[in-house]
Amino acid sequence: MATARPLNWTWFHRLGSPPYIYELAARLAPWFGWPAALAIVGGLWGGLVLAPPDYQQGDGFRIIYVHAPSAWMSLMVYTTMAVAAATGLIWRMKIAHAVAASCAPIGASFTLAALVTGALWGQPMWGTYWEWDPRLTSELILFFLYLGYLGLRAGFDDTQRADRASGLLAVVGVVNVPIIHYSVTWWNSLHQAPSVMRLAKPTMPPSMLVPLLLMLLGFTLFFVAILLVRLRAEVLNRERSASWVREVLGP
Amino acid sequence: MREFFAMGGYAAYVWPAYAVTLAVVVFNIVSARRSLARAREEARRRLSMRGEGS
Repeated sequence: MATARPLNWTWFHRLGSPPYIYELAARLAPWFGWPAALAIVGGLWGGLVLAPPDYQQGDGFRIIYVHAPSAWMSLMVYTTMAVAAATGLIWRMKIAHAVAASCAPIGASFTLAALVTGALWGQPMWGTYWEWDPRLTSELILFFLYLGYLGLRAGFDDTQRADRASGLLAVVGVVNVPIIHYSVTWWNSLHQAPSVMRLAKPTMPPSMLVPLLLMLLGFTLFFVAILLVRLRAEVLNRERSASWVREVLGP
Repeated sequence: MREFFAMGGYAAYVWPAYAVTLAVVVFNIVSARRSLARAREEARRRLSMRGEGS
């Protein structure tokens, strides 16, 4: 048997190094941004033009191609934020807190999109823009959690204290994520049951499903690209006195 | 073409939903770039305030 070599952890430590992250994020962002644009354009074409009208909802169902990806973002970004905040709290990793802080405005904006597109879908299909229904209410709470997180951060001058307080809120608030996801199964909801994110086969024909999957993929890539840009700003703001800042900014 | 924009009678709901989502996407691009530009500007200002000696 070969002698055990110590594991090489340098890559992990470099992930905690601000200048490395700053440059890495700059290099990676276009590799997510451009594929995101391609996937979204493809998804829009497929969803608005190629997919046939729904047999019950006619062309009104096409709202799904912006509503479902926005709702997916609201949950996925929150989960990312909570995991990053927990990592920051447990291992005292500053970069993890920077990731969490960068997630919040992205998640809040897409939660708003999910709520508004949902209302616009609800009116023609259910006859109302809003109902205090479990799914809708829990999604609204998610929006307030994002706003609370942002407001809490803004209330602190000291970044470390802001990280700790807002991080705790993000971690506690994550219980809302499974509640939103399962709300349509646990309670009687106006909202339709999941048609893609389910264990059994999706309920849609491929002509409708493929554009939706493209939109979900595109939005996810878009999130990563935006996160990387925001992370660079966040890292720069936190490194008040580092000499590397002088180097990366140039003369 | 007119038929496409009519969205089978759902135009008043479908197009605003797409417009709102587009606005959120554009907001994210603009605000992320602006916050990076502002952070760079701010960092540069701090560096020049501390002078060449440090």
